[in-house]
Amino acid sequence: MIVTDTFSKFARRMSATQDFPYVVIAETPNPIRQLEHDALRARAEAMIQGVIDGLTLPPAEIEKRTAHLVKQLNPQGVPRSSVPV
Amino acid sequence: MTQTEVRLEGDSIAELLTRGYEYAYEQGWTDGLPIIPATAEAVKKFVAASGRKANDLIASLPPRKGQATVEAIAVNAVMAGCKAEYMPVVIAAIEGISDPTYPLELMQVTTNPMTPFFLVNGPVRDQLEINYGTGCLGPGWRANSTIGRAVRLALINVGGALPGVYSKTSFGSPLRYSYICAENEAENPWTPFHVDRGFNKDDSVVTAFKASNFCNISGGEGVGPEEILRQIATNMPPMYGGGDGVLLLLGVNHAQSLHEAGLTKRDIQQQLWELARLPISHFAEAFSSTERKAGRGDDTTVWRAAKPEEIYVAVAGGPGPQNVYIGAGTPKSRLVKPA
Repeated sequence: MIVTDTFSKFARRMSATQDFPYVVIAETPNPIRQLEHDALRARAEAMIQGVIDGLTLPPAEIEKRTAHLVKQLNPQGVPRSSVPV
Repeated sequence: MTQTEVRLEGDSIAELLTRGYEYAYEQGWTDGLPIIPATAEAVKKFVAASGRKANDLIASLPPRKGQATVEAIAVNAVMAGCKAEYMPVVIAAIEGISDPTYPLELMQVTTNPMTPFFLVNGPVRDQLEINYGTGCLGPGWRANSTIGRAVRLALINVGGALPGVYSKTSFGSPLRYSYICAENEAENPWTPFHVDRGFNKDDSVVTAFKASNFCNISGGEGVGPEEILRQIATNMPPMYGGGDGVLLLLGVNHAQSLHEAGLTKRDIQQQLWELARLPISHFAEAFSSTERKAGRGDDTTVWRAAKPEEIYVAVAGGPGPQNVYIGAGTPKSRLVKPA
């Protein structure tokens, strides 16, 4: 999965709804829509290792690497914050 | 949606109702407004009024794939303040937004505050007193206020569109509380909207649109049809996130004037399509580029809808030189099945 960092937790929650909380998420700083072609390409290239990891690592290794992120997935109580949880 | 039975006590009815509201709020079951407690008796009554079984599955609501059974919908309809007899309309609305080609999952999670808008046609409008006249999009009518709210509560509680958890909506929208009215068929000089979509006049139908905004267009009183349409067109500019089309709720005065001038709905669609356009220099390049790719622009101009048929025309509201423009598209119509 590839996302901009602002939406990383949303992305993992969405993945969790499909029963895949343990996924490698390749991130890049938000936003990207203003970037020129070359800058966007550089961002994409920087994410490639994450994509390769997601496609090639054994599931047990991915689970080990992402377990701490999955534990943070569900907010405590009912979130009513101006800051995305 | 997990079933939970809660017992609360209070020294007075008012205190008990307040505690019920506060408890529901703390659980995250509300839209922030007070709710009616969904007691087992009330839910049973609402299920019975639907004419269906409690465990009949109406839809799987994204992103959580929550199972919107009749019972789960009934719980939310009770909480929203619906009457039991509204259930067939609430169910038809949820069926509409669950159409495979309706972008509900996107709408549930995107940063854009797009929301369903529901247009109701047919006899059910009068049977349930769903307002289609004066003030039809504002406060004051129970059916309008609570049917849309029931759907919203289902989208939150069953679908899981909790802002900040699954929903990334940056601002949200007041339209997300309840966005619904009926068509003023009696003062529509043309065919009702649902008849245009292939239903019989005596059918009761809910049409769900993907909607992005609300814009009241004032003016154009006592002038000819060209001026009326120009006034409307220049107030429905191309807008980001408002793609797919336009729903124009023509006010009854303008509908009558345009009809008396000999215009058909098709004429109105065509003329608005031709008029609702602006020079490309008016827009940011990124926006005009997107619109060009979507068939709503060329090298010099950006226009509001890709084709005249994507300007949907209905008649609503009370007397006055007012119309409503909603950036809206992907209409999905569903029959309201009586209990």
